[in-house]
Amino acid sequence: MSPPPIVNTVNLVRIYQDGGVPVPAVRGVDLKVEAGEFVAIMGPSGSGKSTLVHMLGGLDARTSGEIWLDGSRVDTLSESAWALLRRRKIGFVFQFFNLVANMTVADNVELPALLAGASPREARERREYLLGELGLADRADAAPAQLAGGEQQRVALARALANRPSLLLADEPTGNLDSRNTRDVLRLLGEVHRDGQTIILVTHDARVASLADRVVSLLDGQIVDDGAVGPVRRRPRASAGDVVELRS
Amino acid sequence: MSTARASARWIRADLRARRGQALLTVLAVAGIVTALIVSVTLLEDGTNPWRGLFTESRGAHVWIHTGDAPDVTALSRLPGVAEVAGPYRTAPVTLTLEGKKSPVALRGMEARPPAVATPLVRQGRWLRPGDTDGVVVERSFAEALGLRIGASFPVTALNGASHPLTVVGLADTADQGFYPEWTPGLAWTLTSTLARVEPALGRSESVTGLRLVDGEDTLPAVHGAVTLLNDQIRRMSTWREVRAAMELDNRLLGLLLALFGVTGLVAAALAVANAVGGRVLTQTRDIATLKSLGYTRGQIFGLLTVEHGALGLLGIACGLVCGQLVAFFALDGVPLLPPSPLPLLLIILGTAAVVVVAAALPAWRGGRTPPLPAVPAAPPRGRLSRMARLALLVRLPPALVLGTRDAFTRRTPALLSIFGLAVPMMMITIGLGCWATLDDFLRHPERVGQAAALVVHPDKLPAEEAARLAAADPQVRAVYPGAEVSALEPEQTRTVLARALGTSAEPYPFRVAEGRMFAARGEALAGQGLLDLLGVKIGDRVRMTVGGTPLIVHIVGRVVEPDQDGEVLSLGMDTLAAKDAVPPQFYSLVLEPGADPAAVRARLLAASGEKLEVARVVNPADRLSVIRVVIVALIVVLSLLGLANLLTASALGLRDHALDLAVLKAMGLTPRQVAATLVTGTGLLVVLGVVAGAAAGASVVAGLVDLQGHTSGVGAGIGRAPSPLTLTVAVVVAVGAALLVALIPARRAARAQVPVTAR
Ligand SMILES: Nc1ncnc2c1ncn2[C@@H]1O[C@H](COP(=O)(O)OP(=O)(O)OP(=O)(O)O)[C@@H](O)[C@H]1O
Ligand SMILES: [Mg+2]
Repeated sequence: MSPPPIVNTVNLVRIYQDGGVPVPAVRGVDLKVEAGEFVAIMGPSGSGKSTLVHMLGGLDARTSGEIWLDGSRVDTLSESAWALLRRRKIGFVFQFFNLVANMTVADNVELPALLAGASPREARERREYLLGELGLADRADAAPAQLAGGEQQRVALARALANRPSLLLADEPTGNLDSRNTRDVLRLLGEVHRDGQTIILVTHDARVASLADRVVSLLDGQIVDDGAVGPVRRRPRASAGDVVELRS
Repeated sequence: MSTARASARWIRADLRARRGQALLTVLAVAGIVTALIVSVTLLEDGTNPWRGLFTESRGAHVWIHTGDAPDVTALSRLPGVAEVAGPYRTAPVTLTLEGKKSPVALRGMEARPPAVATPLVRQGRWLRPGDTDGVVVERSFAEALGLRIGASFPVTALNGASHPLTVVGLADTADQGFYPEWTPGLAWTLTSTLARVEPALGRSESVTGLRLVDGEDTLPAVHGAVTLLNDQIRRMSTWREVRAAMELDNRLLGLLLALFGVTGLVAAALAVANAVGGRVLTQTRDIATLKSLGYTRGQIFGLLTVEHGALGLLGIACGLVCGQLVAFFALDGVPLLPPSPLPLLLIILGTAAVVVVAAALPAWRGGRTPPLPAVPAAPPRGRLSRMARLALLVRLPPALVLGTRDAFTRRTPALLSIFGLAVPMMMITIGLGCWATLDDFLRHPERVGQAAALVVHPDKLPAEEAARLAAADPQVRAVYPGAEVSALEPEQTRTVLARALGTSAEPYPFRVAEGRMFAARGEALAGQGLLDLLGVKIGDRVRMTVGGTPLIVHIVGRVVEPDQDGEVLSLGMDTLAAKDAVPPQFYSLVLEPGADPAAVRARLLAASGEKLEVARVVNPADRLSVIRVVIVALIVVLSLLGLANLLTASALGLRDHALDLAVLKAMGLTPRQVAATLVTGTGLLVVLGVVAGAAAGASVVAGLVDLQGHTSGVGAGIGRAPSPLTLTVAVVVAVGAALLVALIPARRAARAQVPVTAR
């Protein structure tokens, strides 16, 4: 039997209550993501992209439907069980970096490893490796506020990868960056993906989406297009045509 | 467990980022604990001097009076006995001073003071080998008789022979209680002198003290001594009796202490809850990030509780050390002991519990922060509060309008900030009120029923002569004849004091708190304690036996009565039977305002050729002066707390407006105007809190003191609110200091380059 998909959602629904008025943000999404896949989620503002990835990471509760991660059902988990799961299996990158302002870059990156029970030495080695890879080795002792946006986002990425998560969730990680910083971050994402990292990435930017193996389009909380192009592990750079198609 | 390392990192980083605030929390809690410990120690020492004296003199727990000297070796082998003092030969003699006879126990000692139960020489010196006529007198006894160093101490032994001795020293001891509660008075001489004064061994007794290993456990030693010495024993006393004899009526102090303790705990809770609450609010984003990284609700709760609770516990530890040190140095010269373990334990456990709970509540709220950092914790905006509209209406500068709006964008924290300032301010006002009440006691003793500053006993002169002499003094305004007899209450089971002063036609200026002054024979005033004891109201008629004469007393009013727990009946001399009233036992002298009682006393003594006995009236407030120390400590601690709460409030304000600052500057506000906006936001809360607190304090303080007065029998009518001037100064100082403190972070924020970041 083939291994179960990393992510599998069945008829996933999220309805917010806004002052008594139900606001359906996600309306019956079935999404399967295989190990090692790089999926981009696109769609207009308010189409439910963030809501979807938040639910996949347990940051938001579903209204109905099922979520399966790595073959086990997780939508029924308690808040703390979700927290434990996040610790071990999920890395998050947010649009606004969300680095802990009081901690140094090094501490920010080591935090998840320590939380998962790594020894300080393991955590330090992993941090040194990641920051080195990201070209931030010399900024380890800086405070996040002293870094440029692109640097902060790279630190956030390092932090998300600190625990070798089986799933990397990124919600518009380049939304706040200029093109040069965007390029840096994307290069990194591409590298970790080549090393087998499963990635689900939300973006508005077609150039960003062009890196992915597969582009899922959301509209009004529903999948309107699932542009799985070519085989998994296809070289990402050859997909400009797909993007043009999707954008039209 | 795996979170421990990660949490440690986070706590370390967080504490480093806000060192000042953390330090303030520690200081506030330490201050509270210090103040509590110091006041407990001072009050304990003030109300129960036994403990200090006993420890300082290495006192004996058990004293045995026997006919002949007991077998010391056998006594020292008794269970639990550590050391033995004596035996000392003690002879009963009579001291005759100005015709007045007082019984004295004259105790023979060596020139070298003993190691156990050492008399503590406070003035003069201890006996020297050549002091054949020297005597060291127990201090309370000497004070009661007016004996000084060098005064003559003529004693008469049982055989009638007189011996002129001289006082060479005054000493404290824990061997017996204070004179006159404990008689006879105690004096020490050399054994050789004692042998000369009382040569007959049979007319003296032997006194032996046992110092025990465990003072709580006196029974084995007492039983052992009884078995050993049997019928030789004439009398025994233990430290418990001595302590009981030395204890003051400390109900007032006890209540004050309880009040202060509760204040301290409330204050500690407020300080910690405010600090943690403010911190949690400002950190919502970071906490959400931690959750997205895999912290559970419980772990966040634990993290915050541990971080802030540890600060509080650190404060308690510091306070414990400081408290002992301050208590030690508070009254220099008089060594103080740490408070007894029970109150200390109560203070520690009480503050620890309060600190942990106060940290846990906001921490619990922090734990419930949703893990979605995307949800911004932005204050509701765009809505002008009523207050701000008012500000606009009266055309205030823009900074004020914006600041006023900002003050209330977050209701709950705004209310908490106001409350956090109002409570310390209220307590400070209450403290100032207690101070004012004490001042009132001292400055206007007539308001506490002590119109007379001096009391003259005719002694060796005829009563009329004494009255004439007293009235002749230029600084004596009025002379009231007085007599004190005992009165039996209706059930004839308890005697109370009946004090006749002045006459119905010319009554003594009693401080009548309710009802009216007596104006006819048979009318009387009662203290609150007496009203409670008899269960009667003003206007009732009570059958009493006053000085042996049955009488129907019409109680027409209540006086403020500081003596005898208020169980005193005050009436006119004409109401007493003639045998009690003529001649008057004493005269109470009301002096001209500003007259010095000591000078008048000296003049009267001189005019009468030392034949009058003139005593100064002791003001109850003199005994309460320790309360002033407590009040000052209270105000310092409360100010510190107010400061801590203020910093939290201004940090919250800054956080809420970090983004607006950029906008404000873009709108063209100068840094000064931006700072003014921020200060107005905080300042409005400060003014509201301080004014509300002062008003609340001023309105309850008189009631509180009166409530206390009522329960202690003194009766309501002594409470004073602080004067309007004091109150105004306190409010202005508090608001001014608060604004200055708020200005510092505001200016820094206004100057800083504001990065336009997302929430
Ligand atoms: N906490 C909430 N309460 C109520 N409604 C919400 C909440 N969060 C999101 N929504 C609504 O759900 C819908 C989907 O929101 P979502 O943030 O998922 O969109 P999005 O695709 O990420 O948009 P964007 O591209 O702007 O980030 C929107 O209509 C939004 O208004
Ligand atoms: Mg979004």
